[in-house]
Amino acid sequence: MAVAATISQRKRIKRKAPRGFLRRVFKRRKPHLRLEASCDLLVHLNCLLFIRRLAEEARTDACKNKCGIIKDQHVLAAAKVMLKKSRG
Amino acid sequence: MADSDISDNEPTTRTLLRRVLDTEAPRTPRRRQSTRAGVQRTPLGTPFSMRLRSQTKTTAGRQPHRARSIGRLAHIQTRGQLKEQTPRTLLENILLTAPESSMVMPESVVKPVPAPQVVQFSRRESSPGSLELQLPELNASTTLAPGRLTSGRRKKRLRLSEFQQGVDQGLPLSQGPVTEPPGNTGASSLSSSLNLTFATPLLPQSVQRPGLARRPPTRRAVDVGIFLQDLQDTSVATALPGDRTPVATLPTDTVLEDTQPFSQPLIGRSPSVHHSLPYPSLSAERTVSRRTRSSGPGLQNNSPGKPAQFLAGKAEEVDALAMGFPNTSSSTSGEDGLEPLLGGVGEEVEERMEESMSLSEVKEAAGAQASARAEEPEAHTEVAEAEGSWGAIEEKEPEGSSGDKDTEARPELASSTPEFPRARQLEFLEPAPPTSTAVLSSEPLEPLSARLPTRVQTAGPRRRQDPYKMGLSHYAKLFSFYAKMPMEKKALEMVEKCLDKYFQRLCDDLDVFAAHAGRKTVRLEDLELLMRRQGLVTDRVSLHVLVEQHLPLEYRQLLIPCAFSGNTVFPAQ
Repeated sequence: MAVAATISQRKRIKRKAPRGFLRRVFKRRKPHLRLEASCDLLVHLNCLLFIRRLAEEARTDACKNKCGIIKDQHVLAAAKVMLKKSRG
Repeated sequence: MADSDISDNEPTTRTLLRRVLDTEAPRTPRRRQSTRAGVQRTPLGTPFSMRLRSQTKTTAGRQPHRARSIGRLAHIQTRGQLKEQTPRTLLENILLTAPESSMVMPESVVKPVPAPQVVQFSRRESSPGSLELQLPELNASTTLAPGRLTSGRRKKRLRLSEFQQGVDQGLPLSQGPVTEPPGNTGASSLSSSLNLTFATPLLPQSVQRPGLARRPPTRRAVDVGIFLQDLQDTSVATALPGDRTPVATLPTDTVLEDTQPFSQPLIGRSPSVHHSLPYPSLSAERTVSRRTRSSGPGLQNNSPGKPAQFLAGKAEEVDALAMGFPNTSSSTSGEDGLEPLLGGVGEEVEERMEESMSLSEVKEAAGAQASARAEEPEAHTEVAEAEGSWGAIEEKEPEGSSGDKDTEARPELASSTPEFPRARQLEFLEPAPPTSTAVLSSEPLEPLSARLPTRVQTAGPRRRQDPYKMGLSHYAKLFSFYAKMPMEKKALEMVEKCLDKYFQRLCDDLDVFAAHAGRKTVRLEDLELLMRRQGLVTDRVSLHVLVEQHLPLEYRQLLIPCAFSGNTVFPAQ
């Protein structure tokens, strides 16, 4: 099919999603649940967006404190905010 | 060709080779004539120079080069002046490059010239002459005129000297050993320099061109004592318990309790693991606790099964010794037990285990295993067993000093655990001890999947955190990329912790959403709902937009339904 054809052209995917890792993590935590076929890709997308927002937040914190380096307290503060936001 | 009068007293390899070469019947007549002609012919200079070049390029022993040059020369000179690459030529080259026992042995030295044609020649003429005549023929002769002084015939020398001079002029590369003799010959012209041995002594070569000299391989004798010591150390450190090796008693005994007497060794291992690597043990315990939590009181069965899966799937390579094999075998057996155990375990047990796990983690990390054990014997035993069995899977070495403590824990666990896991454990352990012995015996020798036999043991505990940590660090790297600012290492670790918490939350939320929909499978709509609640997907920004923006094309094709030819849609909705 067209899908297969296009995929075969580019075998090396940049920014691969660690699908196995995600599935394993989910399975470990929720063994009674099952993940659908491409759900781990969306989970990966979710992680990417979370990390992106976290990084933005941490960068803002660091710049606020006039630090040229992101320190763990910046990250911690940013994480607190983000985890609150991503409560779902 | 009995001319091989290598009148060496001792039958050295060289002499034997020479004899072999001499006794063989090369293509004599042609070669002879050709050699003669070659000597007189000027064009020889070129091939000769080529030969020299090849010689210089290749030290004695680089036969392929010589062969190539020989081949080239053979093309140039149709006559068999140059030897094609034959075993004979190879042997000759060997003889050339190998140092002669004595430099000043004109007669005998001359003989050894490896060229069969030369030998033939020598028959015709006295040995020194053959040497000289051999010069043009020798393709790979290391030097033109290196050699010993031979008394020998003026006429041959003349020819040779002419040759040598021609070679000197023609020879573009004048590399030390090679050019020196020619230089000498040039200087001395008719002197005996031409009659220098073809096989220059190794020393000058090595001095001038150390890289080309043949050095005897430096092999250090294996110090068995040190090796054993290392084995012991690593075994102690990585809980590679040494019932085999006289390992020092493990200072810390993990809380691993095991109801089965067989599991003692398993538990013995884990203590060493914990003791030696507190931090990894912490994370390992965390992962183990997760595993155990998820598997419920599957305990030993689950833990061996899970870690076995983990390990087998993860890094067979890291697997110390032959762990991989027994692991896979045991994992298969363990997995069978997993299912029924999972079914049997209630959720409350899981929760309890969770709490105890968290507690036990902290305690074990602190080393207060005894106290932890006292407080939450069951949980600890489970964890310990999980770890121990995990360690057992990895190392498969029966225990050590922690055996007695394990026995204490075991009865506790025995009381709490159902019989099923015990049977499982027995089953699991049975293959373990026999395999462990085999494994241990092969440990030092067998690379198996282990890259380094001694170092594999240290990789054991590392394996626990590696897969999980690697995944987290993969995302942490993305964090540093998105931040576009320099970061501290501690900040990265903090990011990993946050990611861990995030994953927990994510899984819980997905669980709730799926349960709310009355499903046991998490579907795409659950994910979309989650993202909507997180504020990522809004009325303006749809999920497809996000997928298109952030995921590579391949994943996008998998996620977003698209119409294809033939009235098909992929992925099917």
